[in-house]
Amino acid sequence: MIEITITEEQRDCLQELINVAMGRASDKLARYLQTFVHLQVPHIELVSSAELPQTFAETYGDDNVTLLSQGFYGQDGISGETLLIYRADHTKNIAKILGYAPDEVSEMEQLTDISSILTTTFLNGLAEQIENQIAYSAPRVISSRETSIERHLQDLSFNWELALKVAISYQVTDYEFNCDMLLLIPGVAIENIQQVLNQILEEY
Amino acid sequence: MSLSVLICDDSALARKQVKKSLPDNWDVEVRVASNGLEAINMMREQIANVLFLDLTMPELDGISVLELLKLKRLAEYVIVISADIQPEMQKRVTELGALAFIQKPVNPEKLSNILKEYGLL
Repeated sequence: MIEITITEEQRDCLQELINVAMGRASDKLARYLQTFVHLQVPHIELVSSAELPQTFAETYGDDNVTLLSQGFYGQDGISGETLLIYRADHTKNIAKILGYAPDEVSEMEQLTDISSILTTTFLNGLAEQIENQIAYSAPRVISSRETSIERHLQDLSFNWELALKVAISYQVTDYEFNCDMLLLIPGVAIENIQQVLNQILEEY
Repeated sequence: MSLSVLICDDSALARKQVKKSLPDNWDVEVRVASNGLEAINMMREQIANVLFLDLTMPELDGISVLELLKLKRLAEYVIVISADIQPEMQKRVTELGALAFIQKPVNPEKLSNILKEYGLL
């Protein structure tokens, strides 16, 4: 097991970068859905790959969820995965928000569009602040009705033991529609982001 | 006499960013608070001439602070500095009496311009 600890200063610095990035993402989402998006303080912690599926199961239980998973790669060894998670009983509210008759095909299209808006705005916002450039891989859609989420998380964490996990919640309270975003920065990329954080901290 | 300035943000980095963005020639005494509750308590001790206020915070968020300030004037001028840049949020804080809204990360020039505009500098 690799020994990695994150200092309070580093956590604080990362949280502020995340705040700015998620603020921009929620602004884009609010404009797209023409409604207000409620934000909470993001939660940052180190997780082991072994406990990741379990923590996921604890949060979502037996609820049907749809998950959109997308890898990203930047300079200086910054890389990771963003997961966007939607509960099935919330997904049906998208049609209501956007004002059309609900059907499953357009629901999936909307989830893809919303995920793309959130992920690209968030990651570009983060990259800009750390003066990096980020490329994305194609998003994968996993529905718990068809595939095991646990299996996807195991595949995802196949080549690392520890990851920095950032949990963000975008809540459209007027329509009971939530989107949870998990940012996973795994393995050696944790140390790379720590170096970036240290450089920012030195400036202040 | 120098002005009393209070910077309220849950992030230590953000507090430092705001502090560093204050104009060099500005005669102020700066205090910092790490959440809304702490800020309210500090302003009860001594009112703030200028309050720089974050919105998304634990304990007591920026909106709640603005609502409390409407009942009791503990701050003369409030400038919101937030990452939550949704138009509705900007409208809401202005309606609650904030003088101006600055998006994070704070831009020193924008901050100076607002201070000049309201004759605080």
